[in-house]
Amino acid sequence: MDTSGLGGGAPSFELQQFLEQEKQKAMVNELVAKLTDSCWEKCMGTPGSKLSSGETACFSNCAQRFLETSQLILQKFERMQQG
Amino acid sequence: MDAFSSPRPSSSGGPSNEEMMDQVRTQLAHAYAEEFFATVRDKCFAKCITKPGSSLSGSEASCVSRCVDRYIEATGVVSRAVLNASPR
Repeated sequence: MDTSGLGGGAPSFELQQFLEQEKQKAMVNELVAKLTDSCWEKCMGTPGSKLSSGETACFSNCAQRFLETSQLILQKFERMQQG
Repeated sequence: MDAFSSPRPSSSGGPSNEEMMDQVRTQLAHAYAEEFFATVRDKCFAKCITKPGSSLSGSEASCVSRCVDRYIEATGVVSRAVLNASPR
């Protein structure tokens, strides 16, 4: 791909790779933000001086179960499309 | 987004990749910080200011302070759970 002399033309391979990586990171950040948001509602009591062990476990379980649920529903939809 | 909207086709080829990457990183970090602030504000307002009075009380203010710290801590816990759960 010739990028010389293209005013704002196709970005270089290096730049494309960088943008792809940043996109991936942004998606993970977004997922973490979303999970923290909804698990906060389920797990958080009155904010103390640190998270209680129960709260910590709840956040961790909540995040993992959310991902599991997501997988489950995805698989169900796939089966529904095939059936 | 000056580097994108007005590329300079100079002999040096305009802004270098390094400059563009720095700009993207800065803007992403800024957007992330703004969104994080808005979320934490909403969560801690809901959690700590249950009956708005004529001014923020000392206990409300300290609740907000703890709440912000706990939200950051919770984000870390969730982040680790997500990274451990998705080795694929």
